[in-house]
Amino acid sequence: MTFRLQAATACFIFVTFVSLVSLVRAQASFVSVVSLVRAQASFGSVVSLVRAQAFTHAQLRVGSIRGRVDIRRVPAPAERRPGIADLGAPRLRDTQDLRRAVVYLESAPRGAFEVNEVDRAIMDQRNETFVPHVLAVTTGTTVDFPNSDTFYHNVFSLSKTQRFDLGRYAAGRSRSVRFDRPGIIRVFCEIHSHMNAFILVFGHPFFAMTDGDGRYRIDNVPPGTYNVVAWNEGTPSDPKSISVSAGGSAELDFTLR
Amino acid sequence: MKVLSAIAFVACLVGVSPADAQTLPAEPIALAGGRVTISGDVAGSYGSRDAGWFDYTDYNNSALRTLRIDFSAAATVGEHVTLLGEVRSDNLGRVRPYALYVRMRPWTNHNINVQVGLVPPTFGAFPRRMYPNDNPLIGYPLAYQYLTTLRPDAVPGDAEELLQKRSSGWLVRYRYGNPAGTQGVPLVTGLRWDTGVQLHAGTDVVRGTVAVTTGTLSHPLFHDDNNGRQVVGRLELRPVAGLIVGASGARGPFVSETAARGAVGDGHDREFTQTAWGTDIEYSRGYYLVRYEGILSEWRLPLVRAPYLKLPLRALSTSIEGRYKFSPGFYAAARFDHLGFSEMTGSAVQGTLPWDADVTRAEAGIGYYIQRNLLMKLSVQRNMREGGRVVPRASTLAAGQLVFWF
Repeated sequence: MTFRLQAATACFIFVTFVSLVSLVRAQASFVSVVSLVRAQASFGSVVSLVRAQAFTHAQLRVGSIRGRVDIRRVPAPAERRPGIADLGAPRLRDTQDLRRAVVYLESAPRGAFEVNEVDRAIMDQRNETFVPHVLAVTTGTTVDFPNSDTFYHNVFSLSKTQRFDLGRYAAGRSRSVRFDRPGIIRVFCEIHSHMNAFILVFGHPFFAMTDGDGRYRIDNVPPGTYNVVAWNEGTPSDPKSISVSAGGSAELDFTLR
Repeated sequence: MKVLSAIAFVACLVGVSPADAQTLPAEPIALAGGRVTISGDVAGSYGSRDAGWFDYTDYNNSALRTLRIDFSAAATVGEHVTLLGEVRSDNLGRVRPYALYVRMRPWTNHNINVQVGLVPPTFGAFPRRMYPNDNPLIGYPLAYQYLTTLRPDAVPGDAEELLQKRSSGWLVRYRYGNPAGTQGVPLVTGLRWDTGVQLHAGTDVVRGTVAVTTGTLSHPLFHDDNNGRQVVGRLELRPVAGLIVGASGARGPFVSETAARGAVGDGHDREFTQTAWGTDIEYSRGYYLVRYEGILSEWRLPLVRAPYLKLPLRALSTSIEGRYKFSPGFYAAARFDHLGFSEMTGSAVQGTLPWDADVTRAEAGIGYYIQRNLLMKLSVQRNMREGGRVVPRASTLAAGQLVFWF
């Protein structure tokens, strides 16, 4: 009996050892141990760990989509209401950058929804303008709304995706909103009706903002065929289909309006 | 019926709009590269029958049963000059010019402005936010709406005649001046603007405005009727974000030349003045906003015969208003108002009485933003009048309002 017990104990130790070795190998295939810890923490089960491993392996063979968005007719910035009852002329304000577009995959590859990391972003209120005018974030992102003006602002949204009202707060103060649902959120100031902005919340990381020349690049796209959409000031383009190969870079241009 | 039809139309618009979507136009119309902007407001109110004439703004219109449509425009001419105007129609009636003035800003880097024409009210805080989307409730503060028994174009011969008219400011007639019956005037008229020249200057902390206008606070005019000018000023302090403290003063000839001449002969028309002083405080933070405004107005009318009017005739109004936002797009608001009048002695039967009946109003309501620029309000008012010949002396009124603007 004693021998059998010893044999069983030895088998248990062996199996445990083999499991640990497998785990160390799995760690080696990840970019870093930190990534593993993050992945483990977010998945919380062995099944999830395996899926994370599969997606991370796929990341090693990812491609990218890049191109340019040409906006033919840039929309006019929101003007102030005439302010007939005001005793003097309104203060000068900054103009919004309405040329920026967001390009995104209409549907993301499997597994992409599970690797979002908690993130923070900033939408400032400066010279009666939201800066930036368009913000693209992933679900779970917390957006800070600091007030950099010397007077009150009151940020709010009545969008279907997320309703919020941050109340009035003074210069140097900031309030935050966490966005947990994908969708488009229009942001306004209750006090200054011409102040408006967009926050696009995605459930995946495959999106990019255009730069000043209208160029964009979406990296780490797993190989496959995707529908891609360009969006500017509330107007999305028709989806365009494109194939991404492992390690390749696909070109896709858009023309809006 | 016009009001009801219009409100039904707006309600249909709301009905076809998904509650959370921004489906109606929200921005002002911009033309000529943004040099011309046009905006509009539509507000339809419908409420209980106001048998006590508490909310009437003139003989025909009550603030609780009004459809108001207005369009505003601003045209920028270079860096220094802007033309501004507004036309308005109440209950689908005649379209009237409400504002029409030129704003000149001699130095673009200094906040110094000169405005000439049918200019915005200088006095007080409320007149510049009388637009339905700025007013959290449906009714107006008493000082800006309640019709006292004074008229600029007709005057009583003695104290007895004035005291007889107590509470009937919605339709009053006097012995001297215009014999036709019409409504009296409130302490400050926010529903019509005065004509003149206005100078405004300031910084982020201190702002000052002075104006010389044709009419008076109670009776703004386009064409002068007494060859007198009103001088009005306002000083505003904004020591910290959210706090605004204001003080205003005004003085100008009130009684028309015809009425003055009919009562006391030629040469006195500039003596019969309206003088007013006002203070106001606004504080807001987070989700709440509180406002206080007090106005003391004094009128000097012709003294014709005994029992004489006890001059000046004084009226003191006090208004406290609060608003709290419970959740995005939803708020509750309340206002408490009192309007009191100085006393005088009339006939032996009348004794000593306030020259008009004191009024108290409490209003509470809620507002819900169906979308950013489409607001639905519901409110309940309790009005009480101490004396006067009009009954009922107290009434509870309920009203609803839909407001759309772009």
